[in-house]
Amino acid sequence: MTSILKTFNGYQLFSKHLKQSLDMIAVPVRGRQNPPPRKRHPEWLPKPIRVRYNEDLTPENKEFLSEIASFNKGLHEMPKSPLNTELVQPTQAWTQGSKRTGLIGKKIGVYPLWLKNGKKVLTTLIQIIDNEVIKYIPPEEFNPVKHSKHLHPKVKNGCLVLGAVNIDPQLITKEYYGIFNSAGVTPKKSLMRFVVTPNAALQSGTPLCAAHFKPGEFIDIRGKTIDRGFQGVMKRWGFKGMPASHGVTKTHRRPGNIGSGGAKARVMPGTKLPGHMGNRWRILKGVKILRINTKYNVIWVLAQNVPGEVNTMCYLYDTILPTKKNTSPHFPTYPPNDINALPEELYADDVHPFTEPNIEYQSEQES
Amino acid sequence: MTMVSRLWCQKAWQNLAFAKVLGKEPKTFSTLVQLKTDEATDDNNDSQAQTNDELIKSPSLGNYRFVYSEFLPDPNPLYRNSIREKLERMDMLNRRSVLSIPEFYVGSILAVTYSDPHAVGKINKFVGICILREGCGLRSSFLLRNVVNGEGIEVRYDLYDPAIQNIDCLRLEKRLDDELLYLRDAPLEYSTFPFDMEIEAKILESVPVNDIKIPLNPLPWSQRWEHHNLKGVKEIVVNERRQKKAAALAKPWEKYDLMKTYRETIPEEEQNEIFSDVYTKLNELEIQKNILKRKYMLQRQNSSKTRTS
Repeated sequence: MTSILKTFNGYQLFSKHLKQSLDMIAVPVRGRQNPPPRKRHPEWLPKPIRVRYNEDLTPENKEFLSEIASFNKGLHEMPKSPLNTELVQPTQAWTQGSKRTGLIGKKIGVYPLWLKNGKKVLTTLIQIIDNEVIKYIPPEEFNPVKHSKHLHPKVKNGCLVLGAVNIDPQLITKEYYGIFNSAGVTPKKSLMRFVVTPNAALQSGTPLCAAHFKPGEFIDIRGKTIDRGFQGVMKRWGFKGMPASHGVTKTHRRPGNIGSGGAKARVMPGTKLPGHMGNRWRILKGVKILRINTKYNVIWVLAQNVPGEVNTMCYLYDTILPTKKNTSPHFPTYPPNDINALPEELYADDVHPFTEPNIEYQSEQES
Repeated sequence: MTMVSRLWCQKAWQNLAFAKVLGKEPKTFSTLVQLKTDEATDDNNDSQAQTNDELIKSPSLGNYRFVYSEFLPDPNPLYRNSIREKLERMDMLNRRSVLSIPEFYVGSILAVTYSDPHAVGKINKFVGICILREGCGLRSSFLLRNVVNGEGIEVRYDLYDPAIQNIDCLRLEKRLDDELLYLRDAPLEYSTFPFDMEIEAKILESVPVNDIKIPLNPLPWSQRWEHHNLKGVKEIVVNERRQKKAAALAKPWEKYDLMKTYRETIPEEEQNEIFSDVYTKLNELEIQKNILKRKYMLQRQNSSKTRTS
C-alpha cells in the first residue's frame, strides 16, 4: 500500500494545484516597486468648496453667538463655568511622590530682566490663556499607548485633560464640541493630557492660572522646535565644514569622512548626516521661574531657548530633576477663588523689579 | 481731504444702482458723480477730516516716535505679540519713573553714572558722544565714545539697566548720519570731550543739527566707508578700484522701495495706539523733568551772578 502511495506521490500530479507550502521561500521585494499614484484632483472637475453646516439660525441668534464668542476671546480674567458653581478645591498637603497637573502656555516673546546682583538675564514670557480642566480620567480607565522600550512604573496614575485658548463655537464640528459639553466650558483650541496622581485630581471646569506655579520654582517646558527643513551637517550638527580656500574644491560645507572600512564596511546607525532639522518635540528641563504676572497670567522664565517659535503653544510641568524638585507647591492647584488676593506682580527673591530704586554696590569696607 | 472725498465717492458709486444700469459710458458718469458728491460732501466731511488730522498730526504724539523711539517694537512679525509689548512698555515706564532718562540722539554728548562692582569706589562716570543707538524695548542700548589717555574708548550701556545711577544729556544735538561709527577712523580730536563738561542749559524749540564734516584718517579703515553714503564726512579718498566697486554695489533705488520701508517700520496707526497707551505717564514724567531742568538753570544763573559780582 505504502509503495503504491510512494510511486503515486513521485509523479507529483497534484503539486501544481495544491496550496503553496510554508517552507517555500518568498523572494523579498526591495523597496516599493510601484508606489501608489499620488491622489490628484482631476483638472476637468471643479474644485470642491467646503461649506460649513447650515444651522438655520436667525440673524439675531447669529449675532448673539458671535458676541459671546468675541466676549470669551479677549478674556484675561479667570473664566467662570456656569455649570460648576462650587469650584473650591480642598487645599491638600503635598506628599512625597504625588504628581500634580501642569499648564498649557503660549510663548509670547523674550526680553531681558536684571537680577539683584546687577546681572542681565534673558527671560522667555509664557502666557497662560483660558486654561480649564476638561476631564479627569481615573487610573482604572487611563490606558495610554505604551512603547515597549521604556520601563513602566507599577503605580498607575490617572490623567487630567486640559484645554487652552477659547475659540468661536460656531467654527467647530459637533463632535469636537461634544468634548466640552460635559465640562460646561467654552470650546478650546488646544488640548493636552497631564498625568496626575489620584489625589491631585480636579473637578472638570476648574480654571487654572499662572499662580499655579510660584516664582523661584523649577519647571520643564515641552514644545515643538522651530521647523528648519532639510539642513546640511554644519547647521544641523554644528560640524566645522572644510576650509574655504587652500585648494579645497566643491567641499566647503560637507561632512567629510563618515567612518567605515575595516571589519564593518557600512555606515553606523546614528551617524550625523544631513536631514530634516527641527519640528520635533523637545523638553527643556529645570527652568527657573523668575516672575509671575497674575493679571495677564504671564510667567517669566530664566531661559532664552524655550523650544518653538514665538506665538506657539508649549506645555509646563513640575520638573523631574531630582535636585530641583519642588517640595511645597500649591497642591492640587492654586485655589481659583483666591486669585484676587494675590498682588499683580510676584517676583523670585533674586530678581530686581523695575519699580525698585537703582542697584548700588556697596564697597566691602563699609559693609 | 482728497482721500476722504475719494473714499466717499466710491461708496456713493456703489450705492447708485441706477448708474450701474445706465453704465454705457461709465467714465463720464463716474466723473459727474464725483463732482456732485465732492460739492455735496465737503461740508459734512470737514469735521471728520479735521479730527483725523488732529490725531495724526498732534505735535506731542508725532514727536514721540523720535524722542521715545525704543517704545516701538521690532517690526518683524515673527517676534510680535501685543501682550508682550504691553508688559514690556509697562516695565519701561516703571524704570523711567525711577530714573529720568533724558531725550538724546546719535551725536548728543552724554554723561552716565554707573554702579560698577569692579570700579574704585563702586561708582563710575563716563562722558562721551553717543555714536550708536540700538535695539528696541528693554533691549535698547547706546554706545558712548571718548578718548582717555590718547586711546579711543567706547562703552555700551543698556538704557534700562538698573545699575545706571544717572544719565545726563550734556549737549543735545543731532548729526547728519544715523550712526557715527566712522569716528573710529577719524582723528581723535573729533571724539574727545572733557570729563568735567557741564550741561549746556538751553531750552530749544527743536533739536539742532550739527552739520560738521569730519575728515577721515588715511587707510586702513575698520569698515569700507565709501560704501556707506556718509553725509558727515568731508571727502572719502580711495583708489579707482575701490570707487568702482562702491559704485557697483550702491543701491540708489532702495529709498524708493516701499515694501522695504513697510517691512522695517511700524505703521502709523499702530504707533498712535502704542503712544496713546503710554502718553499720560510719559507726559507726567516729562513735566517733572522740565521742572527739574528749570530749577537747575536758575541755580546756575544765580551761581554765575555771584561769581561775576
